[in-house]
Amino acid sequence: MGKVLMKGNEAMALAAIKGGCDAFFGYPITPQNELPEYLSKHMQANGRVFVQSESEVAAINMVYGAAGAGARVLTSSSSPGIALKQEGITYIAGAELPAVIINVMRGGPGLGGIQPSQGDYKQITRGGGNGDYYLYSLAPESLQEAVDLIKESFEIADYYRNPVMIAVDGLIGQMMEPVDFDHEVKKWDLKPKDWVADGDRKSHPKNIINSLYLDPTDLENHNLKLKKKYDDMKANHQRYEMINMENAEIAIVAFGSTSRIARTAIQLLKEQGVNCGILRPITIYPFPEKAFKELPKEVKDLVVVEMNTGQMIDDVKIATMGTHNIHFYGRVGGIVPEAEEIVDAVLKARGESNE
Amino acid sequence: MRRRITFIAGHYGSGKSEISVNLAIQDKLNYLVDLDVVNPYFRSRALKELLDEHDITLVESTIEGKLNSDMPYVSGKGRFPLQHKEVTAIYDLGGTENGTRVLHQFIEYIEDLKEVDFLCVVNIFRPETATTKDILKTIMMYEAETQLKITGLINNTNLMGETTQEMIDEGEKVLQEVSKILDIPVLYTVIEETKQNLTCAFGERLDLNRYVAKKWL
Repeated sequence: MGKVLMKGNEAMALAAIKGGCDAFFGYPITPQNELPEYLSKHMQANGRVFVQSESEVAAINMVYGAAGAGARVLTSSSSPGIALKQEGITYIAGAELPAVIINVMRGGPGLGGIQPSQGDYKQITRGGGNGDYYLYSLAPESLQEAVDLIKESFEIADYYRNPVMIAVDGLIGQMMEPVDFDHEVKKWDLKPKDWVADGDRKSHPKNIINSLYLDPTDLENHNLKLKKKYDDMKANHQRYEMINMENAEIAIVAFGSTSRIARTAIQLLKEQGVNCGILRPITIYPFPEKAFKELPKEVKDLVVVEMNTGQMIDDVKIATMGTHNIHFYGRVGGIVPEAEEIVDAVLKARGESNE
Repeated sequence: MRRRITFIAGHYGSGKSEISVNLAIQDKLNYLVDLDVVNPYFRSRALKELLDEHDITLVESTIEGKLNSDMPYVSGKGRFPLQHKEVTAIYDLGGTENGTRVLHQFIEYIEDLKEVDFLCVVNIFRPETATTKDILKTIMMYEAETQLKITGLINNTNLMGETTQEMIDEGEKVLQEVSKILDIPVLYTVIEETKQNLTCAFGERLDLNRYVAKKWL
């Protein structure tokens, strides 16, 4: 269809349709409303299912049911709504079902505000629900990347039989950008869904979808089986981008919208004679620890920039094991850092280490 | 020439707010009334300082001094320009027909419909308004919702930084067709200020300064 100009939420919705999403279940919340609004018009027209449920809790349990029946399922929400969905998400991970969840983050905690934020980093990467599970979590920085990753996310979810989280902030949801929906995305090696509980007793034996294992040995084995998946994600599917890292003397670590602003900041820094790189995590789980091993030797200082109070710092510390000085600059409450503020933070970090 | 009062409607992200602010400044209007209660971001109300500098009174629906307080009401002050013939104003509506619905409470204060332009902003690179048929349907929805006739079109065909002359020409072709069918003029073709070399054949050229969206977007 060639390039079109899309609003982020619409683009993510259409990407889901292009990615083969069979069913959407969700409940409205700002700043992601255009996403279900778009799907309410277009899912049925494409022969798919759209349900606006009575609550977030209902929506995520509908996702659980439809995923268990073998459908490619999507739900979307924003921070407080995603918080409500946590119980369902751990059940889905526990029952080993594929699903895609889009979180268009807004300021928190609690009801917070409606302006952009990256305040759900810990919830997303540590799991807001109970038990040992993780979500394969992707944090795109542009609409094109969001579209490509959402199309692929249905493959990833099916491959791992595990929920995939698309973590963006309100800016990505609300901004306009040209997008090409026909980019080829990676096809994963998918096995037939012979585990589904779809009422079909002829082509496969009775299947049960469940996350309850009362026998401790069974539950331990189940946990170890899940862990293998997460170990495989960590070993083989970390994603990141190194930007302007050749000749860099200092680097910013930032994901999503923040890395986008950092791109402007490093241009401004170059004008001042400072060569600054950006290490951009694309997966925030698994955290791209491998990227830190690729940093040039000259880079001793890392400036973590986020729209939260420093939730990613722990992961950067774990990845660097004390080899680098970690600095931080963040804005919260829905305030987006300006490129000039990031420039000042980098200059300050550089000054401190030269003292 | 535009009339004393202008209502600006269009799809999400069609450029309503940028165009409203640009027209208000360029034409030295007295009032900019931000009636967008649909979209929480990138609203013209965020530009209060800029509008103050240009002596344009901003009407919006927040708690005074708190531009981000997202209050679910529409300011009654929006009536003032309709009732006072000595002032000029532009009304920046929310996206789609849902965004035009707020006009209901103002329509009864319009004394003479000849004083009002109701303009529809179109970008053919927005998939919902890509073809003549889509645009006609969109306009029909706005008219059905508000019971007001769309009086003119604004061609804002663009792919942001990637806009080419061919794209503008294609947009003009589609909008000419809509213009003929509905017998309403294409009042403006929008050209972004950074794209000075582009030209337009229909309507007044509106050189657009991007005020609302941040430069790093």
